Amino acid sequence: MMKKEMLKTGLTLMVFTVVAGLALSLVYVATKDRIKKSEISAKLEAINQVLRDPISGAIIVDEREVNEIVRREGVESRTLKEYKEGTVLGPLYTFLSRDGRKVYVLSAQAPGYGGNVVTMACFIENGEGLMLNAIRVLDYSQETPGLGAKIGETTVQERFSLIPPEGLEHGVRVDKDAGSPQGTVEELKAKGIVKVSDVMTGATITSRAVTTAINLMYKYLTEEVLRR
Amino acid sequence: MSRMKELVKGFVKENPTYVQVLGMCPTLAVTTNAVNGLGMGLATTFVLTLSNVVISSIRKLVPEKIRIPIFIVVIATFVTIIDLLMHAYLYDLWKTLGLYIPLIVVNCIIMGRAEAYASKHGALDSLMDGIGMGLGFTGSLVLLGSIRELFGNGTIFGIKVWSLRVFLGILPPGAYITLGLLSGLFVFVGKKRGDKK
Repeated sequence: MMKKEMLKTGLTLMVFTVVAGLALSLVYVATKDRIKKSEISAKLEAINQVLRDPISGAIIVDEREVNEIVRREGVESRTLKEYKEGTVLGPLYTFLSRDGRKVYVLSAQAPGYGGNVVTMACFIENGEGLMLNAIRVLDYSQETPGLGAKIGETTVQERFSLIPPEGLEHGVRVDKDAGSPQGTVEELKAKGIVKVSDVMTGATITSRAVTTAINLMYKYLTEEVLRR
Repeated sequence: MSRMKELVKGFVKENPTYVQVLGMCPTLAVTTNAVNGLGMGLATTFVLTLSNVVISSIRKLVPEKIRIPIFIVVIATFVTIIDLLMHAYLYDLWKTLGLYIPLIVVNCIIMGRAEAYASKHGALDSLMDGIGMGLGFTGSLVLLGSIRELFGNGTIFGIKVWSLRVFLGILPPGAYITLGLLSGLFVFVGKKRGDKK
C-alpha cells in the first residue's frame, strides 16, 4: 500500500518535471541563436570602441578584419593567466592596424568595491614597446551607483586612454596613489598616472581595479606574448 | 467587482513590499536606480502572474504532500524562461540585474502567493492576484529606486532633476531608511482607508 502511494507520488512529480523540461527546451531552442547574437554584438561593440583612436574617433583596424577575427576567435571569456592581483582574460585578439602595427585587444578583471571589475583594453605596438590606446570597462555591475559605477561613463574611461610606453613601463596608478601630483591629464599620463580624482570622487577602489587590470594585461602581453 | 478587488489589493492595502514585507532581498539589492527597479519588478510580475495561473489550474491534480516541490518546478520553469528571454532580447538589463533574475525562484512573494492564494482559488482570480501583486511589487521597486536615485545621483530614470547628492541614498543604509519610511507610509494609508470603510 505504502509502496503504491510512493510510486504514484513519484510518477506525478515526474510528469510535472517532464512537462517543465519540454517547455524549457522549446524556449531554449527558440532563443539560442538570438542569445549568441546578443553576446557577439555586445562584445563586438566593445572591441570596436577600444579600437578607435581616442582623439580622432577613427577606427584603426579595418572593420571587416575585426568582424572576421572576432568570429574566428569567439567571444567566450577564458582565463589566460591568473595573477595575485587579478586575472587576464582571453580571447586575445590580434589585429593589424591600417598603418601596419600590431594591435592587441584583451581583457582582465581585478577586484573593485563590490566584486570583480572587468576591463577590456587595446594595446598598440609602438617602437620597442606598447602603448595603451583605449579601454572599455565591460562589467562594473557590483560597483556603487553614483560612486564607483561612474567608471561606466565614457568621459571617465577616456582618462585611461593613450598611455605611452614609458607610462605603462612604470606601472599605471591612479593619481591618489601617486600622491595627487599636480599637472594636466596628459602630462601625468607620461608618468603612468591616471588623473581620476576629479571625476571619480570617493571611488578610488573602482578606478584602482581598472589600473590593476591595465597593468596585468601589459605584464601578460610583454612577458607571455612578446617575450622580451 | 470582486475581481477588481483581487487586482488592486496588491497596490496599497496588501502591498507585498511595504505592507507584507516580502521579497526583501531583491528589493534592497536592485533598487539603486529606477530602471533596475522597473526591470526587476516586471520580470517578477511575469513569473508571478504565470505561475499563479498555472498553479491554480493544476491545484486539483497536485497531491497535497508534494505540492511545494511542484510549485517550485513551475516557478523555476518560468524564471528560466524569463532569464533566457531577457538574455536574448534585453541584454543590457539582463547583465545589470545579473544574479537577481535566477533568484526570483526563491522570491517569497511568488512562493507566498502560490501557497496562500493560487492553490486555493480559481485561475481567473489568481491571474488578477498575480498581476496586482506583481504591479504592486513593481511600483514599490520603482518608487524606492526613484527616491534612491534622486538622492544619490540627482536623477530619476537617468533624467537630471537637481544637482543635490546624498550618497547615503544609494548605499545600503539609504535603502533601509527609505524602505522603513515608505513602509510606515503605506501601512498608515492602508489603515486610514480601512477605517473610512
